[in-house]
Amino acid sequence: MTSIVKTALAAAMAAALSSVSAAAVMAQDVTLTLISAEQDAVVAPVIAAFEAKYPNIKVQHQSIPFESMNATIEARIGGQDSSIDVMFVDSPRVPAMVSRGYLKSLEDLRGEIEPLVTPVALDALSVNGTIYTLPLWTSTQMMFYNKDLLDKAGIPYPGSNAEDRLTYQQIVDLSKKAQAAGAKYGFTFEQVDRYYQLQPIFESVGAGSGLTGEGNLTASITNDNWVKGAQFYSSLFADGIAPRGVPVGQIPPLFSNGEVAFFVGGPWRLDGFQKAEGLKFGVAPVPYFEGGKPVTPTGSWALAVSPYSAHPDEAMLLAKFMTLDPEGAFKTVEANPIPPVNLKAFDIYIDWFAAKFEGVGEDAKKIMTYELRDTAISRPLSAGYVAFEEVMNRVFGDLRNGADVVPTLQDAERELNSTLSRIQ
Amino acid sequence: MSKSKNVLVALAFLAPAILAVSILRIWPALVAVHESLLAPRATTYSLDNYIYIFTDPIFQSSVVTTLFFSIVVNPLQIAVALGLAILLNNKLPGTGFWRTLILLPVAIPASVSAVVWAAALRPDGLANAMLAVFGIGPQPFLTSPQQALACIILVTSWIGVGYWMTILLAGLQDIPKSLYEAARIDGMNRGQQFRFVTLPQLRRPLTFVLVADTVANFLVFAPVQILTRGGPQRSTNLIMHEIYTRAFATGDKSSAYAATVVLILLMLTVVAIQFRMMGDQGDKA
Repeated sequence: MTSIVKTALAAAMAAALSSVSAAAVMAQDVTLTLISAEQDAVVAPVIAAFEAKYPNIKVQHQSIPFESMNATIEARIGGQDSSIDVMFVDSPRVPAMVSRGYLKSLEDLRGEIEPLVTPVALDALSVNGTIYTLPLWTSTQMMFYNKDLLDKAGIPYPGSNAEDRLTYQQIVDLSKKAQAAGAKYGFTFEQVDRYYQLQPIFESVGAGSGLTGEGNLTASITNDNWVKGAQFYSSLFADGIAPRGVPVGQIPPLFSNGEVAFFVGGPWRLDGFQKAEGLKFGVAPVPYFEGGKPVTPTGSWALAVSPYSAHPDEAMLLAKFMTLDPEGAFKTVEANPIPPVNLKAFDIYIDWFAAKFEGVGEDAKKIMTYELRDTAISRPLSAGYVAFEEVMNRVFGDLRNGADVVPTLQDAERELNSTLSRIQ
Repeated sequence: MSKSKNVLVALAFLAPAILAVSILRIWPALVAVHESLLAPRATTYSLDNYIYIFTDPIFQSSVVTTLFFSIVVNPLQIAVALGLAILLNNKLPGTGFWRTLILLPVAIPASVSAVVWAAALRPDGLANAMLAVFGIGPQPFLTSPQQALACIILVTSWIGVGYWMTILLAGLQDIPKSLYEAARIDGMNRGQQFRFVTLPQLRRPLTFVLVADTVANFLVFAPVQILTRGGPQRSTNLIMHEIYTRAFATGDKSSAYAATVVLILLMLTVVAIQFRMMGDQGDKA
């Protein structure tokens, strides 16, 4: 660790020296470092737009694998590395980062941020009512269906209006029908085993997020509704409706290959599905539990300026350009079509999006608009979220493989409360 | 040259190695011991982290799983490696081809091997298709708590056996032919030759393979992380994966340090026993 700090110091000194000598020649040039888990191509449009607007500021992007993002922030921001200026932050990890002092209060920007975002989005940027991050991206889900498989089974296409939303029971029945007519699988989630996409099952049945109590540091995953939701999830795989034993990364190709009738996934799948040869598909809203409420997952990356940035003013200019400036915020999603949080940028985005995906774009636009407004629910904000998510992802994996529901949930609740007690 | 000067010269030559070992091995180990004695938010040393992990059923089960895994995987890998080495030491047609084939998995990163096996072991994957040819019904493989650990053993062995085989093969080729001739003249059969010539002559490479393989198998991580993430129902949660989960997933670094120290002690104990058992017993007499 100390060697990293030394290297960083040396680099910072070298950078400082070079900027001093450069200053003698021209107006002060600054190079900012932006870190994210995206490929360079995703942030290239926004960097180009920013550099065109501020010619004396250059932006260098460092792409870090998602799995190493935590460890990188832990090592570099924790080590007070001044070479990171602006960073992508996964929303549910904000409380843990605040508790470690990695994020500074942005309350002085409240007046600028508030009119641009929904209250749910504002909550995701804040901890205990204080804003710590800037609004970058959000997400939602929709249900894709394979038109050919539905035709074969004589199933009418589900509608794309909020009133047309099907229940999970209806989906199970239709899935069995589609399978009887030749579909290999009836229904699946894109992200099996992942809390982000499965949280809505439990929220829809009224089970709660799984975390309660002060600071969301107590696990509650053994109540009747959790058991009900988990039994439903487990039965999808036990009955062969959804694929057991297929790794999560290999699930989307099942839909592109025409092996799945119904598929819940993010709008980021549209591009790939449209390019899939011979695949005819439509989109509908995510199902819900009969008697429960419709719920969709949301949230994504937020943006923050490192408290140790060597150029805090320029860094803030970049961060604000990428989030609060509608044109800038739109540029961040141009090469990665997921919704920006900034409502003005969203307006630009959604029309561009509808036109981009011929055939399904208009339906997708309609669904995304009402889901983000009416049914979006954030992941629980908690300093223990990372631990919670890890344990829950494993629980979902075990349920998918056929573990008994009640003992699995009881065991996980005990493990969670033991782990979370070390965070309190 | 005086003796002290000799020592200085020796030290100078050893310095890079000593430096590397100190920075890369001893220092991190000391840090681990130091951190493992500090409970979260504590400022004084205590055994709290150790008490916590040893009363934690998840850690207990990971130790049991690791020991069981070691007991099965090490003898299995060494027996297979030795068998293959003996087979390829004979003049078979296409020996070079077979050797390359067996060694090939060593050249592939463990993570890539694991990804490929993950696809093959899917319930609708290649492995089940091949079993079907022999009339065997579909197996759950990685999705079953009864079969997952066996799959991990299969994958780690597929990755590792070629490497250990190479070392044993080199050892076999070092055995003087005259010893076998003498043995034959004394009327030993094949089995006796193996027992009284091959095995004793192979003791050094076998010791190395035994110790290095044991250590490698205590530290198995990538296949577990990629194939099962410790599941189903923790049936493949080896200590390395448990440490990783604690440190980087649930963010409980102090108990991860304690688990690391336990792993080091466990490994040292087993390796020390192996060295004793494989030591020079009586053959100098």
